[in-house]
Amino acid sequence: MSTSKSGGAIGPFHSVAEAAGCVKTSDWLILTLLFLAVLGGYHIHFMLTAGDWDFWVDWKDRRMWPTVIPILGVTFAAAAQAFLWENFRLPFGATFAVLGLLIGEWINRYVNFWGWTYFPISLVFPSALVVPALWLDVILLLSGSYVITAVVGALGWGLLFYPNNWPAIAAFHQATEQHGQLMSLADLIGLHFVRTSMPEYIRMVERGTLRTFGKDVVPVAAFFSGFVSMLVYFLWWFVGKWYSTTKVISKI
Amino acid sequence: MSVTTETSAGAAAGSDAIVDLKGMWIGIAGLNIFYLFIRIYEQIFGWRAGLDSFAPEFQTYWLTMLWTEIPLELVAGLGLAGYLWKTRDRNVDAVSPREELRRHVVLLQWLTVYSVAIYWGASFFTEQDGTWHMTVIRDTDFTPSHIIEFYLSYPIYSIMGVGSFFYAKTRIPFFAHGYSLAFLIVAIGPFMIIPNVGLNEWGHTFWFMEELFVAPLHWGFVFFGWMALGVFGVVLQILAGVKRLLGKDGVAALIG
Repeated sequence: MSTSKSGGAIGPFHSVAEAAGCVKTSDWLILTLLFLAVLGGYHIHFMLTAGDWDFWVDWKDRRMWPTVIPILGVTFAAAAQAFLWENFRLPFGATFAVLGLLIGEWINRYVNFWGWTYFPISLVFPSALVVPALWLDVILLLSGSYVITAVVGALGWGLLFYPNNWPAIAAFHQATEQHGQLMSLADLIGLHFVRTSMPEYIRMVERGTLRTFGKDVVPVAAFFSGFVSMLVYFLWWFVGKWYSTTKVISKI
Repeated sequence: MSVTTETSAGAAAGSDAIVDLKGMWIGIAGLNIFYLFIRIYEQIFGWRAGLDSFAPEFQTYWLTMLWTEIPLELVAGLGLAGYLWKTRDRNVDAVSPREELRRHVVLLQWLTVYSVAIYWGASFFTEQDGTWHMTVIRDTDFTPSHIIEFYLSYPIYSIMGVGSFFYAKTRIPFFAHGYSLAFLIVAIGPFMIIPNVGLNEWGHTFWFMEELFVAPLHWGFVFFGWMALGVFGVVLQILAGVKRLLGKDGVAALIG
């Protein structure tokens, strides 16, 4: 038995050093399993509720993309905050969840979109969510209040989404001349890159109007998104608490 | 705190070590190597033999895999649960505190392997299915991506979930008495994605849907995917158990 600063065994441990090592290892195991479980749950949730507006660059249109993505993305961010803040006072729940989602998505973009089905990688980037997540966490840390985080944080989550993604899509405004006509790269993508198995209404409407990359309806979409994100945040904070249940039932 | 620099393995080397991660590393390595092989198989035989379900090569390279993996998974799942039940601690309340603590750490390792399996199933192979069906129109319920996603990766994480549950139920006093609601959610919730496959394929077959990933038909997967969050409650229960075993003095010694 090794010596410890308390001079002997504590609880079931032979020494404080052994206890500290066990706690440290367990912390890493818990963080890893939480990260991967949240990643898996968040990813399947996100791809089947928001994914179509996030999979391809030509679906990132200026009304649906900044509306749908924050509303459906704030769910797991709120739940993770509820768990990590209420139980451990750890202020990184939203960033924790979003990092998981983005890692899962980037692996898929490279290994499957690009690696298996050969979509050009520049056309399938996942939306950036880290800045809105940091905002949400900072508001919770400063306020210590889920109500203020829902109202101020979730509004900011919706509003910050589009400018946070602007650097990635700005390049598609580059002008180009095609057969004597002035076009943007965005126009070219809408006209020239035809994907198979694409929903008909997207083919007819989204591509037809070439309204993919911005303009003045974005702020309206962002405010609406922030408004609904507040409501979803309230709901999912409690979802996170429900899943943190320690209840034991006697029979099933 | 300087004592934290010493690992538990080093401090308690020997047969009664509380932390021994060998089993977890073997499990994680086995899963990752297996799925790497599967991904390479998809790359080669997805395009070469997976485009037409009426072709003879589809039978050879894809349906053979389907009809092999399903019975194997059934046997593996039942065998694992049966083994854990058969070897259960029949006097679980008499377990020593040190052994109970060791079992809590083993349970964390079970859950870590489960979470790796959840990653592959719910994240990697599920979005991969979206890429495939946006590119190759399905002509059967058993497409190359479905044979891997629905009938391989989902059962594997369910087996790990059930294994984790049975390990806790048969070896840790807290979980042995009654049923942890959070653990039931973790074990049963994501498993319910598999029956939901039936609804999904039935809908795709009869409604000839566009490959819209956000279609309401898919929301059953989403609902059951939420239940991976049950790990929140399970982790709290494990930590409460560890805290109880440490006692007030133990906690004070650790954080003081």
